[in-house]
Amino acid sequence: MRLEQLPTLRVDPSESCALHYGGKTCQGVAGDTVATALYANGVRIFGRSLKYHRPRGLYSLDGECSNTCMAVDGIPNVRAENTLAKNGMHVEAQNVMGSADFDWMGFMDKLSWLMPAGFYYRTLHKPARLWPFALKQVRKVAGLGKIAPDFRMKGRYAEIYPTADVCVIGGGAAGMTAALAAAGHGLRVILLEARPWLGGCFDYRVGPYDGEKALYQRGRELAAQVEGAANIRVFVHASNVGVYNNNLVTAFQVGARSDSFDERYIEIRAASVVVATGCIERPLLFENNERPGVMQVGCAHRLARTYGLLPGRRAVFSIGHDLGLEAAVDLCDLGVEIACVADIREDGQNPDLLLALAERRVPFLRGWVATRAHGGKQVEKVTLRTIDGLVKRQFECDLIVASAGLTPLTGPLTLAQARLRYDAHTGYFLPTDLPARMHAAGRMTGRNHPLAIEASGRLAGLQAAADCGIDTAAAAAAAADRLRELPGPERGTKLVTAPVKGTKSFICFDEDTTVKNIKQAIDMGFDVPELIKRFTSAGTGPGQGGIPGHNLPLFAARYQALTGATPVPTTARVPLVPTLVATYAGAAHDMSKRTPLDELQKADGGVFRRIGVWQRARYFSQDFSCREEVLNVRTNVGMLDGSTLGKFRLHGPDALKALQRIYVGDMAKAAPGKIKYSAMCNEDGCVIDDGVVVKIAENDYYFTTSTARAGETAEWFRYHTRYDGWDYHIVNLTDALGVINISGPNARKVLQKVIDADLSNEAFPFAAYREFLIQKTIPVRAMRLGFVGELSYELHAPASYMVALWRMLAEAGQEFGIRNFGVEAQNVLRMEKCHIILGVESEQRTNLLDLGLGFLWDRKKTGTKTVGTVALRQAEADPARFRLVGIEMDDSDRAPRDGSLIVDQRIRGYVCTARRSVTLNRAVGMALVESDLAAEGTRLEIFEDECQGKRLAARVVPMPFYDPQGHRMRM
Amino acid sequence: MRSKTMPIERRSPVQFHSEIKKSEVRDRWTVVLAYADEGRGPFLVDLSHASRWDLQDRNIAQMTPLGKQVPESPGQCLFQDGVLVNRMNRTQAAIWHLFGTAPELPAEPGYTDVTDATVCLALFGPNALAVVEKLCALDFLDPGKQPPFLLQGPFSHVPCQLVLMEKGRGFDGGLLLACSRGYAASMLHALLGAGAEFGLTPAGEKRFNDWLGKPEPVKARPARKRKGEK
Repeated sequence: MRLEQLPTLRVDPSESCALHYGGKTCQGVAGDTVATALYANGVRIFGRSLKYHRPRGLYSLDGECSNTCMAVDGIPNVRAENTLAKNGMHVEAQNVMGSADFDWMGFMDKLSWLMPAGFYYRTLHKPARLWPFALKQVRKVAGLGKIAPDFRMKGRYAEIYPTADVCVIGGGAAGMTAALAAAGHGLRVILLEARPWLGGCFDYRVGPYDGEKALYQRGRELAAQVEGAANIRVFVHASNVGVYNNNLVTAFQVGARSDSFDERYIEIRAASVVVATGCIERPLLFENNERPGVMQVGCAHRLARTYGLLPGRRAVFSIGHDLGLEAAVDLCDLGVEIACVADIREDGQNPDLLLALAERRVPFLRGWVATRAHGGKQVEKVTLRTIDGLVKRQFECDLIVASAGLTPLTGPLTLAQARLRYDAHTGYFLPTDLPARMHAAGRMTGRNHPLAIEASGRLAGLQAAADCGIDTAAAAAAAADRLRELPGPERGTKLVTAPVKGTKSFICFDEDTTVKNIKQAIDMGFDVPELIKRFTSAGTGPGQGGIPGHNLPLFAARYQALTGATPVPTTARVPLVPTLVATYAGAAHDMSKRTPLDELQKADGGVFRRIGVWQRARYFSQDFSCREEVLNVRTNVGMLDGSTLGKFRLHGPDALKALQRIYVGDMAKAAPGKIKYSAMCNEDGCVIDDGVVVKIAENDYYFTTSTARAGETAEWFRYHTRYDGWDYHIVNLTDALGVINISGPNARKVLQKVIDADLSNEAFPFAAYREFLIQKTIPVRAMRLGFVGELSYELHAPASYMVALWRMLAEAGQEFGIRNFGVEAQNVLRMEKCHIILGVESEQRTNLLDLGLGFLWDRKKTGTKTVGTVALRQAEADPARFRLVGIEMDDSDRAPRDGSLIVDQRIRGYVCTARRSVTLNRAVGMALVESDLAAEGTRLEIFEDECQGKRLAARVVPMPFYDPQGHRMRM
Repeated sequence: MRSKTMPIERRSPVQFHSEIKKSEVRDRWTVVLAYADEGRGPFLVDLSHASRWDLQDRNIAQMTPLGKQVPESPGQCLFQDGVLVNRMNRTQAAIWHLFGTAPELPAEPGYTDVTDATVCLALFGPNALAVVEKLCALDFLDPGKQPPFLLQGPFSHVPCQLVLMEKGRGFDGGLLLACSRGYAASMLHALLGAGAEFGLTPAGEKRFNDWLGKPEPVKARPARKRKGEK
């Protein structure tokens, strides 16, 4: 039965929605969460607990614990309290064998004595042979929820990256006032609120704000002002998950029906941040304090006022703050029978609220507390005792509204490196000093008076505006004066636990951690909360420490009072609120690069793979040995799209000096019309790249790098010349120019058909560079290279002309049977020729000499120091380095996988590349081995993944394997 | 021996799957002037055919490419006569010829034609900057900056040059984006995906010219009215 006429409602009873749960259809209304919709349909047990399979019910309404984590539409661990109900949702209870009401695993609760704190660390290990079995059993029962391995996440996920002058976290009265204060100075303000509406603790309360209006009316008035301000962006249903350096604030937002997303990730950069996240309730520790029917004050109150649902018929309150009294009065007025209100406090209550209770004839006990909830699956009775435990009374009830006090939500502050210290007055952990450009406001500072909450918000908003360069000194001083006039932080209750043994007093609901478990951990020497947390796993569940975060350090200090221990909070970490990984993934655009020939290659049957940032055609058939592609290059002519190659122009009066600094060769020898091959090393002499350099004009060079290094080359030059003040400039032309590699004995014939110039070996020899204008239109830079070991031309042309050029060459080569070859065929071809690819035949420790490229290093060049040569001189005298060698497998049909280990009694090297060569009809490759294994003829043993102990055999052979004299590329 | 002459065209890395209403061939580029259904905006226009130059020189502040002063500080832009000059850093500027055909590349060594190095797109119209906000953390709505201005940084994780040309009410406005040509397909996918909720559609060059106010060529004679026309 809904209370449909309440002015505080946030649901629309006129619009219904239906959920499927437990084989039944549950009718909710628009605005219901999954939890409230189920509650409206009489569901009281939402799932079972992690270890003991205890029944769990609605306890908070903000997802502070895993009690109401459920599987929704196949997604496990959905927080039913925070998830808006949608028509047709399928909801299932978690961690049950049977149903939530009748769980066959419920007997585990009787075996709790077998599972003391950290039992899985201390037992099941001995004898050792037990562990594999125990491991399987523990894994079977551990964790909440199950997901199918082939489950595909549905939904629309997005992200946004807004910038603000001031970001306010928390859309309650303090947050809204702070936002208005900052926005009043023309600043851009972003306001984040975790609930689907603004208002915070004002939103559902009918108590007086001032003489004229109720709190909820004031909340809505402020919300209207905020929403009407053009320079305030409001994100509701948006939970803050992280705060990082320089006020980078992250959050996720749940989309409303009209939104284009289901959830989206928000990343805000703000000059200043106001944290006004308010408080949650500190759970009251007593026996069976998590039994369905026990709930927090705010939960019971909001269930009625926000969702129109009475939380129970007959209630007993065991509370420690005035919000509990206020809720008792209001729920009484709404029709809940209040059997008794037990207040932990002996004094300090709001007299108006006490009077209101008296007027309603509600029994009120000072200095009393609940010590036990009775009832198997739901609350049936409660035992109350005086806080010294001497006197007890029992009350029949179906609802225990319990709360020890309040806990400020300081997570955003601690993430920003604020230090927290226990404040004896409020009983809170409060920041000793706030990080720069960060301010706290509202209830989290201990203030509960409505006007004080707003005043603190206004002051924080003005201070944040000052961070943005606005002169708010006078206004801030006035706001501070006003705040001082109002009631300050209230005294908090100090009771940590009811006078009970704590066997079933749960300090952490998520992990089934009891007060007794904490005592056990401390007795075993885990004396600080951070250690206790890890040993007992308290606070490591989906609630992110919401329930135990305050009580754990308080109890640990109290239990160790003789040692002088003071309460020390555990560390909050991101994400403060859990959400879907899909939300973090967002739209997940796969940003990769495509060459100008991408479409043509696809049309020609290219099989694409992502290689670094590029999508490249790796094969041109389903034969991944690339036999036909390789043989066609060796015997005829093939074309490769090599556009991913790094390409640069280097110009300026000091261009040569820069080249000399970076390349190990003497770049002064780079002559017009000729190609100079060289390599770059890092400071350790390790090779980072190789490529060719061409002198285009005076002080003007064109050079290439490997595909992988293209993105870093310009910075590499600038970094290594940063103190020289040289006048040179570098232009990245990697994408500006495409590359076609035309290779094979017939390459010249094909090229001659499109180029009006003498291409003979004499006119355009090996290692030469020429420029052509094809059809008087396409400017082509042509290089005679031989990476694949055949007559080859590398044609560099503007990317926009590449399709035209490719088609021209394809047509010219038709009569010769020209065909594409892909990256894998190129890999095989160059491997046969033992031409290396850096990053494949090298790794971070491999230097120039290890690869046999010492001939590239010009030791005599003068003028400037070259990066890496000091280290190379030292390495020259080191005999214990790896060497690159050629290997041939004993089994000519069986090449080892790339990366396989070369071993004897230990690891002695690894295979860089190995393939069955279709040209040579044997399995060959290159490997980096310790130098004493590098001699020709040395037998090598190769350990391959999943070889099951059967090693492969190979021997060291001379390199290169194909055309050792290099005749073919010079033909 | 040369093979027969083939028609040579330059291809933009941007291929929209929309019906072309009007196009023309310009300097071997097929430039789409209008698409059949361009919607009401925001609009995405391919400007990859527009000539773009890189200018690097130690004394760049004293240089006047095409008679235009290079802006004083990095991040500043000058838009004049259809030419946009973006000051990128201490020694570098980008020069984009947004309207019509560019003149020959100046002979001085500091200039490099980088037209083919990047994909160039214009994103403008209602909610254009809301699309941007979904892909980029750079602050184009900073009230302290007046367009045109240049920001350099990641846009959908790809390093870009981004020039805000117009800032309107709310998220209305427009910018030019240039990133490595190879990213064109991914960038289109990201932009059109992010812009779908706002109705982002591909548009032709005319829409772009109208937006930035390219002067219409003077017509020699007014078109003669047909019979029945008012």
